[in-house]
Amino acid sequence: MTLLLWRRAERDPVPRTSVFEELALPLLPALYNVAFWLSRNPADAEDLVQETIVKSLRGFQSFEPGTNFKAWIFRILRNTYLTSRSGLAALRTVALDDELAEAELHPEGAIDRGTPELNFIRLNDRAALESAMEALPPPLLEVILLCDVEEMKYREIAAVLDIPIGTVMSRIARARAALRQALESRV
Amino acid sequence: MTAHLTPDLLSALADGELSAQQLAQANDHLAACPACTAQALEQSLLKSGVARAGKRYVLPPDLQQRLMRLTAAPAPRLAESGPALRASASLRFGLTGWAAAAVLLLAFGGTAIVEHNRHDAQVAAVREDALATEVFDQHVATLAASLPPQVVSTDRHTVKPWFQGKLPFSFNLPDALPDGTTLDGANLSYLRNQPVAQLLYSIGRHRVSVFVRQRTAPTAPDFNAEDAGFHVIVASSRDLEIAVVSDVDPARLSAFVTTFRQAQTEH
Repeated sequence: MTLLLWRRAERDPVPRTSVFEELALPLLPALYNVAFWLSRNPADAEDLVQETIVKSLRGFQSFEPGTNFKAWIFRILRNTYLTSRSGLAALRTVALDDELAEAELHPEGAIDRGTPELNFIRLNDRAALESAMEALPPPLLEVILLCDVEEMKYREIAAVLDIPIGTVMSRIARARAALRQALESRV
Repeated sequence: MTAHLTPDLLSALADGELSAQQLAQANDHLAACPACTAQALEQSLLKSGVARAGKRYVLPPDLQQRLMRLTAAPAPRLAESGPALRASASLRFGLTGWAAAAVLLLAFGGTAIVEHNRHDAQVAAVREDALATEVFDQHVATLAASLPPQVVSTDRHTVKPWFQGKLPFSFNLPDALPDGTTLDGANLSYLRNQPVAQLLYSIGRHRVSVFVRQRTAPTAPDFNAEDAGFHVIVASSRDLEIAVVSDVDPARLSAFVTTFRQAQTEH
């Protein structure tokens, strides 16, 4: 009996919680940043991150080592957001129109080839970009945050949002078209 | 000329998500279409702009502390409910059995503590290495860049106010610098996903970068590192962590760090 216990201890010298700490702690700033963008206030963002950590800690046994932890924990954050007060409010006011026809998704003018260029300087205007991002509907904001800020690949974003890769691609294009239009309208 | 690139393809091009075949076709089209080339450039600029603007909210230190305690708390409970307790439940054969269980508990407890301390030291070493590498990389990138600093001034009363509204904390710049040391300017930069001040000094002809950020770990020890002839010194003041990197003589760099650190306690 003692021998068996000793062998078991040798096989698993680092507690799972210690592994969780190592994986989760470096992601806290990113989780908080995305949580704040989505919930739009510090108190809700704190609650969201804290609940995410509690849920992921509780469910860590189901995390498969060697798979993508960042996508796993961001998926928990996102699902927690969707069931939060601010997430439910966002869902009520925003229709997910991925089912719309391609022509409706990209109306004429979404890419304006008649204009030589969008004023490139505006793309470096951080305040203007922040305002444009604030105006994005949550489904477009979350996808652009995961792609550009968190530098996730499309397949990782698809796993976080539980949507097909094609939908990820079209949502990102729509988010950028919306940002571009918002920047242009500031002139 | 082939058909214009769709918004989806232009986006995926900026994200590096096109297949080899799609990429070849897109490149063929871009070579002949200035309009799509301008759009592709715009998409890339938009992507990098969003990446910068999106890093907007900084994790409050008190929340970080709470979450760190939260993730650390279950460890002892798991250890208690692990092999040692299961052993005590099965060893029901009198005093000898209980004594054996107690010895086992002590042995496992001691091993766990030693293992935990060793593990903490390893994690701390990895974090120090990562910070030193990041600081070193940013300094070298600054030296290699042909652009001037975002704020160019030798006057500390110009450089420090420039950070107002850009950083969620403040810091002091030393008034009296060691001989041969001058302030050149500063950049707003990022370390470990947090906004930091990158102050640029010269000691003689050697360039020095000083990264100042809010301290996130209350017990973070000071440390020195060396990489490719550059010295990195990381020191803490009451609320700030200061990481200094340069290829100057370590003694002069150390004297400079002492001056800079002392300035943080002045009002």
